[in-house]
Amino acid sequence: MDPIFLEVLWNRLLSVVNEQQVALMRTAFSTIVRETQDLACGVFNTEGAMVAQSLTGTPGHINAMATGMRHLLAEYPPDRLVEGDVLLTNDPWMTAGQINDITVATPVFRGGRIVGYFANTCHAADIGGRILSAEAREVYEEGLRLPIMKLFRAGEINRDLIRLIRANVRTPDETVGDLYAQTTSNEVGARALLEFMDEFDLDSIDPVAREIMDRSEEAMRRSIETIPNGRYEHETWSDGFEEPIRIKVAVVVEDRDIHIDFAGSSPQSRRGINVVFNYTHAYASFAMKAAVSPEVPHNEGAFRPVHVSAPPGSILNCRPPAAVASRHILGHFLPGVIFGALAEALPLMAAGSDPIWISVWRGRPADQQDLFTFSLFQCGGGGARAGKDGLSATGFPSGVAGVPAEAVETLSSLIQHRRELRPDSGGPGRYRGGLGQYTEMGCRTEEAWTVSAMVDRINHPPEGMLGGGPGARGEFLLAGQERGQPKALLTLRPDQRVQLNLPGGGGFGDPLDRDPAMVLADVVDGYVSVAGAQRDYGVVIRYTGPAERMVRLPEDYQMDESATEALRSERRGLL
Amino acid sequence: MKTSGSPAATFRIGVDIGGTFTDLMLIDDLSGETVVGKVLTTPDDPSRGVEEVLVRALDRSGLRASDVRHLVHGTTLVTNTIIERKGASTALLATRGFRDSVEIGREHRYELYDLFLEMPVPLTPRHLRFDVPERMAAGGEMLREVDEEFVEALAAELAERGIEAVAISFLHSFANPANERAARRAVNRAAPRMRVSISSEVAPEIREYERASTTIANVYVQPLAEQYLSGLEGRLSDLGFEGSFFVMLSSGGIATVDTATRFPIRLLESGPAAGALAAASLGADAGVDNLLSFDMGGTTAKLCVIADRRPAVTYDFEVDRRYRFRKGSGLPVKVPVIEMIEIGAGGGSIARINPLGLLKIGPESAGSDPGPVCYGLGGTQPTVTDADLVLGYLDPHYFLGGRMELDAEAARRSIEARIAGPMGLSVTEAAWGIHQLVNENMANAARVHVVERGKSPRSLPLAAFGGAGPVHGYRVAELTGSPSLVLPPSAGVTSALGFLVAPLAFDFVQSHYARLDDLDWEYLNRLFAYLERQGTELLTASGVVPDEITHARSVDIRYIGQGHEVRVPVPGGSLGEDDELPLQQSFDRVYRELYGRSGPAVGLEALTWRVVSSGPAPSIHQPTGDPPPADRGALKGMRPAYFPEYSDYRDTPVYDRYLLRPGDEMTGQAIIEERESTAVVGPGARIRVDSQLNLVVTPGVGDVGE
Repeated sequence: MDPIFLEVLWNRLLSVVNEQQVALMRTAFSTIVRETQDLACGVFNTEGAMVAQSLTGTPGHINAMATGMRHLLAEYPPDRLVEGDVLLTNDPWMTAGQINDITVATPVFRGGRIVGYFANTCHAADIGGRILSAEAREVYEEGLRLPIMKLFRAGEINRDLIRLIRANVRTPDETVGDLYAQTTSNEVGARALLEFMDEFDLDSIDPVAREIMDRSEEAMRRSIETIPNGRYEHETWSDGFEEPIRIKVAVVVEDRDIHIDFAGSSPQSRRGINVVFNYTHAYASFAMKAAVSPEVPHNEGAFRPVHVSAPPGSILNCRPPAAVASRHILGHFLPGVIFGALAEALPLMAAGSDPIWISVWRGRPADQQDLFTFSLFQCGGGGARAGKDGLSATGFPSGVAGVPAEAVETLSSLIQHRRELRPDSGGPGRYRGGLGQYTEMGCRTEEAWTVSAMVDRINHPPEGMLGGGPGARGEFLLAGQERGQPKALLTLRPDQRVQLNLPGGGGFGDPLDRDPAMVLADVVDGYVSVAGAQRDYGVVIRYTGPAERMVRLPEDYQMDESATEALRSERRGLL
Repeated sequence: MKTSGSPAATFRIGVDIGGTFTDLMLIDDLSGETVVGKVLTTPDDPSRGVEEVLVRALDRSGLRASDVRHLVHGTTLVTNTIIERKGASTALLATRGFRDSVEIGREHRYELYDLFLEMPVPLTPRHLRFDVPERMAAGGEMLREVDEEFVEALAAELAERGIEAVAISFLHSFANPANERAARRAVNRAAPRMRVSISSEVAPEIREYERASTTIANVYVQPLAEQYLSGLEGRLSDLGFEGSFFVMLSSGGIATVDTATRFPIRLLESGPAAGALAAASLGADAGVDNLLSFDMGGTTAKLCVIADRRPAVTYDFEVDRRYRFRKGSGLPVKVPVIEMIEIGAGGGSIARINPLGLLKIGPESAGSDPGPVCYGLGGTQPTVTDADLVLGYLDPHYFLGGRMELDAEAARRSIEARIAGPMGLSVTEAAWGIHQLVNENMANAARVHVVERGKSPRSLPLAAFGGAGPVHGYRVAELTGSPSLVLPPSAGVTSALGFLVAPLAFDFVQSHYARLDDLDWEYLNRLFAYLERQGTELLTASGVVPDEITHARSVDIRYIGQGHEVRVPVPGGSLGEDDELPLQQSFDRVYRELYGRSGPAVGLEALTWRVVSSGPAPSIHQPTGDPPPADRGALKGMRPAYFPEYSDYRDTPVYDRYLLRPGDEMTGQAIIEERESTAVVGPGARIRVDSQLNLVVTPGVGDVGE
C-alpha cells in the first residue's frame, strides 16, 4: 500500500477513536469514567483485531478489551447481529478481569454488511454484590455477572436487562447512565468511521488495518532486536491478602521475539486479588510496548512479538470461580517486575508505587435519606527513570487520574482533610523516586460509615534500580495506628478519620552520585528533608535562617561542600 | 459606539504584537479606507514597536494621534511571560493540607506509553506555597473561619523577603468567598503593596487544581502586564492620543486597561482570538454566518468554528503545553478563551521518516532560524515550505513580494536526500506527500474540533489566512469536505482586522448548583440582575450608550450525575417556572446535536450561570482598493505547478491579486499572488472575486484530469 495514503488513513482512524473517547467522557455519569478516566476506547476490524485506540485510558482495559473482543464475536458472529445491536459483558475471564468493568461493543454496518466494531470498557460505579473489595472468596459474591448479551436489539434498549441491573446495584443512575454513554460513544465513533469510508470510497477497512498492524509489528520487532538475547529474571512481592504474593518473571529475548513467563509466581489466592490471564497479558504487553516502541500508535500488531504465559491456577492465571475484584493490584505490579528483569540489558525505570489505591466509601450524609457510594482513586510516586527523577503522585502503569477534593466533597459527604506530597518518600538515587502523598479522610455523618480500601505496598516498598534505594512504604492508618488487615472492610464512627499515605517510587542509581545541587534544590522545596539529605545522599545542608521563620528561600540554605565530599568518600569506602 | 475621543475623530486602530512582527490596521470609519503597517517586534520593550508602527501609519496617512477615536491592542505578553517564566515571584495561600494541589494536579499521565514524560511545572515553587487554617464545606457552609492573624504574619514575612504577589485559592471558595476575601484583607493590612488575586474572583468554578493554577497565573503576570499597559498608555498620550485605549481579551471581547490589569490572565491568546474574529467578520460580510477559520503560520495552525457569526468560547484552556500540544501537558487556565485547536503544522514544520518507514510532518518546526532549507539560512531538514516551493506553488523570486530569494534547488536536494531516496519515491512524489500529509494533519484536527462543537465539517466553508493558509486552504477544504473556500485579502495582517470588529464586552460567571426541577427563580433573577448591572456599569464607564448594551445569558446543564455540561441559552427578562420546560427542550436539542441520542431518563441539573454584556459591534466597510488600470489584466504569467489530478506539473496561470476586481472569475488550476501570501487553487474549481475582494472558491462540476 502507498505509504503516504496509509499514513493518511491511519491518522484518520486515530482521530475517529479520539472522537469516540471525547464523547464517552462528556456523556458519562460516574466520576470513575469522567474524572478518573478508568476506560478504554478502540476500533476493530471485521475479525475483531484492535486497529487503533484512543490517546489516553488505562492499559489494563485497552489490552484486555482488545483480547476480549474475540470472545464477543465468538458468541455473536456477524450472522447473529443486525444494525442497531449493541453487545455488552462484564465476564472477568472474557474481558478485563473484574466484574465492575463493563465492555460495550457495537458493530458498524455499511450497505448491510459489518465493516468493523467499536468497543469501550469502563469501570462501573457499582455492580452489586459486596462493595468492591478484595474480601470475596468466589466471584459470585462480587456482584452481578453479565454474560455476553445484547444491551440494544436493533436500536431498542433491552429493558429487562436495564431493570435487572438497576435492581442489583447501589448506584443505578450512574451504572445505567454510563451504559448509555458507552453506547453513545461507540455511535459517535461509528458515524465518523462511515464518513471516512465514504470519503475514501473504501468497502472495507481490513486491508488498511492489516497494513497498520503489520507495520506496527515490524517496528516492535526491530526494537526488540536491539536488546541482547538472553534470559532475564526478577521477582517482587505484593502484600497480598492473607499472605504475601510472589510475582516471578522470566523475560526471554530471542532475536525478534520476547517470551514473558510468570512461572514460579504464587498460586491463586482464596481472596479477590486473583488475575485472569487476559489482564496479565494486557499489562505484560503494555510494559514491552512502553519499553521498546512507545512512539508507534498502539494496536494488535504490537502484541504479536510478545508471548506471555502464566501457569493455570496461579495468581496470574486464575481459574473460575476465583474472586477477582481487586485484580488490578497484582496486575499493576507487572510492568515494574518486567523492567526489573531487564534492568541490566535495558535500564528504564525503577519500581514505583505501582497499584493505584482504590477505596470505596459508603455512608449517609447527615441530612439525607440516601446512602452515597464513592470510589476514590489515588496514586503514589513513580519510579525514578534512567536520567530523570520519578513523577510524584502520578499513576503508573495505570492511566487513570485522581479525583479533585471538591468533586469528592460535592458528590458525597466525605471530607478530605489533607492531600499533600510526602517528603522523603521518594527512593534515594542518582535520580530520585517520585513522592507519594499524605491524604486524610473524614465524613460529615451521624452514623457509622465504611471504607473498603484496596491498598498495597504497605509491607513491601517499591525497590530501587541499579543501586537506587526503595521508596517509602504506604500507610493505611486509623487514628495514627496501622491496621492488621488493611484490605478488609472498615467500619468507622462519625468522628473518626483515616489516613491513606501513598508510597513513594524507587530510586535509580547510586544516591551518592546524585548532583549535590539537585539535593539542595530538593531540600529547599521540601521534597527531601535536611536530615534525609545527609542520611540518604551524604549531602550536608544547613538551614541558616531563624527557626520561627515561615518563608524559607533558597538563600536560607547552605550546602557544606567539604563536609559533603568527606561524608560521601567515607560512605563509598564503607561500601 | 460613543467614546471619549474628539468628536471629529473617525479613525480607529488595531495593533497586534506577535512573536516576530507587530501589525497595525488603521481604518477610517467614514470612508472605510484602511492603512496597514508592519514592523519587527521589539522584545525588550514591546511598546516601542507599537509607537513606531503607529507613528509611521499616521505619517503615511497625514493624520495626528488626536484624530484616532480608539485603539485596540492585543499582545502575546501574557503568554510569553508564562512560557518564559518571567513573572513576579508569587506565593500561594491554600487551605491547610492542600498547598500541593497545584503540583499533584490530576495524578494522570497524558501520554500512556512514554515512560520519560514530564508534568507541567507550577508557577509557584513548593517553598512559596503555604497552608492556611480555614475551611469551607461543599455548598459553601463555613466550617472554620480563616485565621487572619496567621495570614497577616505570613504576608508581612513574604513582603519582607521580597515576594511580590500572592494567590489565594481556598477549597469551595466558588461557593462561598468569605474566607478568601478575609484573607485578602489580612494581606492588604500587613503588606499593602503586595499584589493579591483570589480564586473566587479570577475563576469561580469547581476543581481546586485548575482554579488555583488560574489564580496563580493571573497574579504572576500582573506586574508586568500593568507596567506594560500603563507604559504604553503613557507613550500614546505623549503622542497626543486622546481617544479610548482598549485591550483585546482571549474571549474575543475588548476591555478597558483597568479591567485588563485586574485580570491580565484574560489577555492570553488575544492575537489568535483576533484572527478568529476577523474571520467571523469577513464571513458575515460575505454572507456566510457559519464557517471554519483556518490560520496557518510558520509554526502552528489554528482552527476555530464560527457559528452564527461568533467564534465559540471555551473555559478549559492550557497554557505552555510542553508535549506536542498534548492536552494535559500545560498549565490549566479557566478563563473564557476563543475555542481553537492549535497543532504543530506550519510552513516551517519539518518532514522526516519515522521508525515505521512512514512520512511524518512536524510538530517540530525549523521556525525562522534556521528556517526552511530554501531560506538558505542554514536549515538542512526539509519543511512544508520547501515542499511547496518544489511543487511550484511558491515563486522563488516573489517570496514576501520579492524581498527574499528562495533556493529551490537546495529544497529539492534536501527532499531528495532525506525523504524521496530512503522511501524510494521521486522528489515530486515526496514533496506532494509532505504537502498532502500536513494538510491531512490539519484536516484531522479540524474534524475532531468541529465534531466536538457538534457541527459537520461538510457544512462549513473554510476561511484561510495567515502566511501559509492560502497555500494549503484549497486542499484542507477538499479534505474536510467544505462547501467553499474563502480567501480574504491581505492574509498576512488579517488578525489586526479582528481588533477593529470586536465589540466591547465583559464576561461574568457564577457557579450555582440546582436541579432543573427545583430552581430558585427568585435567586436567579437577582443573580442575573446583579451580573447585568455590573456589565452595564463597566460598559457605560467605557463610553457605551446604555441603549446599545446587550446581555446574553446562558447556563451549563447536564444530566444529574454527569460531569460535563452543555451550554444552553437563557431568555432575558424576569424568569419563572414557565421557563423550565424550554430550558429542558433546549438542552435536549443541543445534546442530540452533539451526541446523536438523548441520555437515560434522569433529571437535569444546572451548574454555572453566565452573562456576556456587550456593546454594539463596530461595523466596518472593507477597503475596496484602487481600481486596477483598465489596460492591464491581472494575469502576470504562467509557471509549472504540480497537481495530483494530472499526476504531473502543468502550466498554471499566475494572477496578481492587487489587480483583481470584484466580479472577476477564473477557473482553476490557478495561483494568485499577493505580497505576504500565495493562494493555490486546484483544477476545475471556480474562483470568484466578491465585493470585499475575497476570493471565493467552489469545487468544480465534473471531473478534471485523466
